[in-house]
Amino acid sequence: MNYLSEMLKLPVVDVAGEKLGVVNDLGIATGEVFPHVTSLAFQGPGKTPFMISWRKYVDHIDETGVYLKAVSTDVRFSYLQPDEVLLARDILNKQIVDTQGMKVVRVNDIKLSATGENQLRLLGAEVGARGLLRSLHPACERIVTTLAKCLGRPLKEEIIAWSYMDLLDRSTRDIKLSVSHKTLDELHPADIADIIEQLDPRLRAQVFNQLDTAQAAEAIGEIDDDDLAAEVLEGMSDRDASSMLALMDPDDAAALIEELDYEKAEKLLRLMGVKEEKAIRTLLGYEEDTAGRIMTSEFVALPATATVADAIEAIRALDEDFESIYYVYTLDPAGALTGVLSLRALIVAEADARLSDLSYRDVVWVAPDLDQEDVADEMTKYNLAAIPVCDDARHILGIVTVDDALDVIAEEHEEDLQIAGVGATEGGSGEPVHVFGWFAHRQYWLLVWAVASGIVASVLGALGGAPELFIYPMCVMPVVLLAANRAVAFVKNYYLEYSEPEDGGKPYLGFFVQTAFVGLVLGAVIYLCGQLVIGAAYPDGAAASVIDELLSSCFACAALVAFLSCATSVAYLAILFWRDEHDRNTSGNALSVTAMLVACALYSAASVAATLAVVA
Amino acid sequence: MARDHTDKLTLAAVLGAMGPGLLAALAGNDAGGIATYSSAGATYGYRTLWILPIMAVLLIVVQETAARCGCVTGKGFASLIREKFGIRRSALAMAALLIANTAVTISEFAGLASGLALFGVPKTISVPLMGLVIWLLTMAGSFRRIERVLLAVSCVFVTYVVAAFMVGPNWGDVATSTVIPHLVASPDYVSLLVATIGTTIAPWMIFLAQNNVVDKNADESDIPLQRVDTVSGSVLACAIAWFIIVTTGSVLFPAGIGVSDAADAALALEPIVGPWSTVLFAAGLVAASFLAACVLPGVTSSAICEAFGWERGADRSWDEAPVYRGIITAVIICAALLVILPGVNLFEIMMSAQVINGVLLPVLLVFLVFIASDKIIMGTYRNGRVWNILTWATIALITVLTVVMFALMLLGF
Repeated sequence: MNYLSEMLKLPVVDVAGEKLGVVNDLGIATGEVFPHVTSLAFQGPGKTPFMISWRKYVDHIDETGVYLKAVSTDVRFSYLQPDEVLLARDILNKQIVDTQGMKVVRVNDIKLSATGENQLRLLGAEVGARGLLRSLHPACERIVTTLAKCLGRPLKEEIIAWSYMDLLDRSTRDIKLSVSHKTLDELHPADIADIIEQLDPRLRAQVFNQLDTAQAAEAIGEIDDDDLAAEVLEGMSDRDASSMLALMDPDDAAALIEELDYEKAEKLLRLMGVKEEKAIRTLLGYEEDTAGRIMTSEFVALPATATVADAIEAIRALDEDFESIYYVYTLDPAGALTGVLSLRALIVAEADARLSDLSYRDVVWVAPDLDQEDVADEMTKYNLAAIPVCDDARHILGIVTVDDALDVIAEEHEEDLQIAGVGATEGGSGEPVHVFGWFAHRQYWLLVWAVASGIVASVLGALGGAPELFIYPMCVMPVVLLAANRAVAFVKNYYLEYSEPEDGGKPYLGFFVQTAFVGLVLGAVIYLCGQLVIGAAYPDGAAASVIDELLSSCFACAALVAFLSCATSVAYLAILFWRDEHDRNTSGNALSVTAMLVACALYSAASVAATLAVVA
Repeated sequence: MARDHTDKLTLAAVLGAMGPGLLAALAGNDAGGIATYSSAGATYGYRTLWILPIMAVLLIVVQETAARCGCVTGKGFASLIREKFGIRRSALAMAALLIANTAVTISEFAGLASGLALFGVPKTISVPLMGLVIWLLTMAGSFRRIERVLLAVSCVFVTYVVAAFMVGPNWGDVATSTVIPHLVASPDYVSLLVATIGTTIAPWMIFLAQNNVVDKNADESDIPLQRVDTVSGSVLACAIAWFIIVTTGSVLFPAGIGVSDAADAALALEPIVGPWSTVLFAAGLVAASFLAACVLPGVTSSAICEAFGWERGADRSWDEAPVYRGIITAVIICAALLVILPGVNLFEIMMSAQVINGVLLPVLLVFLVFIASDKIIMGTYRNGRVWNILTWATIALITVLTVVMFALMLLGF
């Protein structure tokens, strides 16, 4: 008797051999690492449910049934205790969080182990394929495991111990989990965020409500998808949401509030403390993706005349949820930034030394309207863990810390990858890993070619009654498709490598001249290649004059379209710049596909017209 | 179940809520639907019209129940089945869903093939190509970008409404046939009825309706708006079906044209658009089939993975969600292969898929009615008596029709 699936429906028999009913469920005490089964729920005649104490009444169990040590008349019924959980009702078939593997899984079966004469303990939940098969039918499991063993890949049990389970449906019933339990709340906020992303919207809200406000604040800051974070926030009560936002770093909170609609955002801002509200409103006053938006107002700045002891005292007095401290900044009497000290410098210095003597005076700072990407560049260049953001009078408005800079870099990297035509989820570097993915990303022109050839054939059939002539346009078409594809690839590379000059002008004219020239050369090469092929294949034109002419006009069309593809590629560059200015992400693949389809349509139309003209 | 929410039912809220239901209704008139309704009209004239008002009511009941379950529990239908009925019975339900949806996917591929055949593309070319495109789109989860375009194109079937008026049938006859039930004792007629039920109340629509609600995180207070949505969508879906049967029943039936392929079915639109009928019909058929063929494998796979606790979603890679992607791939390959086999009648495939749908529908409806009337799961929002009776009546109706159908076939009619 190792599995709950085998125990359910076993007959319950008393000492006199009378059958009282069939096993319905088992209750466990939740306080232990491997909890004891403490009560037995069974279903008597007429579907009446009963519950009795396991320890008091159960004598032994085997494959044929559960045997009690008393006669039915002596059995006293009991009730579910507050610290008891029913295995079949509360755990079997439910979704649980595996807090060790950090996944959301469904419980397929429950593994028990017999200890001593009549003791039964819970080992854990079986979440793998074996549990599934066993519950379907024990024979299924036997057959499949034997087969798997023969194939050399034995099917292992996937057991999650009770202490690593967190029940998701907890909120509906008052189940108290024991102290020894590792629950969701103890995971790293980033892991909590990962798990939350795997859940249904309703469960997300429930899980969130289980967390305390500080943890919720950290976890929501770790959710990568802004829309999702906003959705979770909207599912919370205004008061909870507001106090959670107040606990977050102001810059993260500002980013989140921006995703909400205006009314909700105003309501939440008004509910929080004056200090937090002001900090967030100030940040929201700066334009998106600038230093001002991602900076935090939580930093340490002291008069240059203060001593090291003063500085350490000031740091000690800070709140627990204050942003991490990397540097202490010094100010002149007017409040302007004069120097910076690292924490290390503070720690090794004498307590009565003046900050002005220790500080490094040539401070690197940025203006609040600087683009976030440039801020990250500055930090990379000078190897800073934080950079101050100052106004014209060098008054510190806030600092940008390294974690935000890393986010910026990751975000920009992802955008660049997307334009380059590689999904960020595909491992992040180079070609997509899966062969089909690679095909979809790189070789889809074959598909376009095939479809377009079909269309050309049917159009030729409909208009000129000569569908078989489609082979001539078809055999030249790949040149056009690839030319269009490469032209866009060139645009993408140019865009990614491009760094904006100071005057902010866009290099459209220069780009157009370059690409038009390349297009001209490409067109000429295609046309000449065509003439070469025709000349070699049909040396004395007379016999095959129609084919000769057809191929020649197709090559001419191809040359023309290839030239147009190159010359118009400046439009795609304009689109990329425009979308970047309006903060929209652009998919490089969409651009390539568009360019290819446009070229394909142009070429098909031109070549069909040419073919019909030649035939007529 | 009744709770006062009238204060929230402002006009704007009602109009806003009507969106998804209407879209689902338009999408519901897919290849199988068009084939079944056209064939019903062409073969039996107005004699199947009476089933449509009944269908509208039953469709409302089923869709409303599914949406309400989603609102109350916040869980998908597959999750609910698994949590209430355990593994064995979920396996049964999922097998029914898998078979029904594979059948429908096959019929969508048949729709694609016959639609493109009207443009002169042979199915040996169109099916593999379309299969590959659909597979790539579902794998990337990016078909939503073109969803609207496809829906717009598939709206051409609304022309049936105009066509019905232009044909000018005897509206008295139409009205009488709609109200008075009419039975013909032939297995073809009965299987046509089953197919009509199967295509109007498709099993996948239950899952889709509930998933939509769950994804929106609607709760109990949204139930009134969901009702507006389901009612308007269901009535529209059945109305379009009704007009298709009226049109085909007035044009094709008197002329004695049986619908054996898409070209025949397109003839029904001739009175309104003349020679363009083929193009219009083919475009609509291709768009509707393409859309449904993109949606169906995903819905199926997602439900199965939800029930058995495997990872799912288009944003999961092959390593993370092998089963999810595997099922989608298998369904698409299976559908494409079956349609491509030489000698199969595409229109017949579309019809028989709907019969399979109809036969398997009761299985899932039984699960739905048990869940919806469960006090622990649904609380005060559980099914009322009328709803239970109507659902059981649907189950009984389909079961009786199925038995009659098989009995008639065995008796050799």
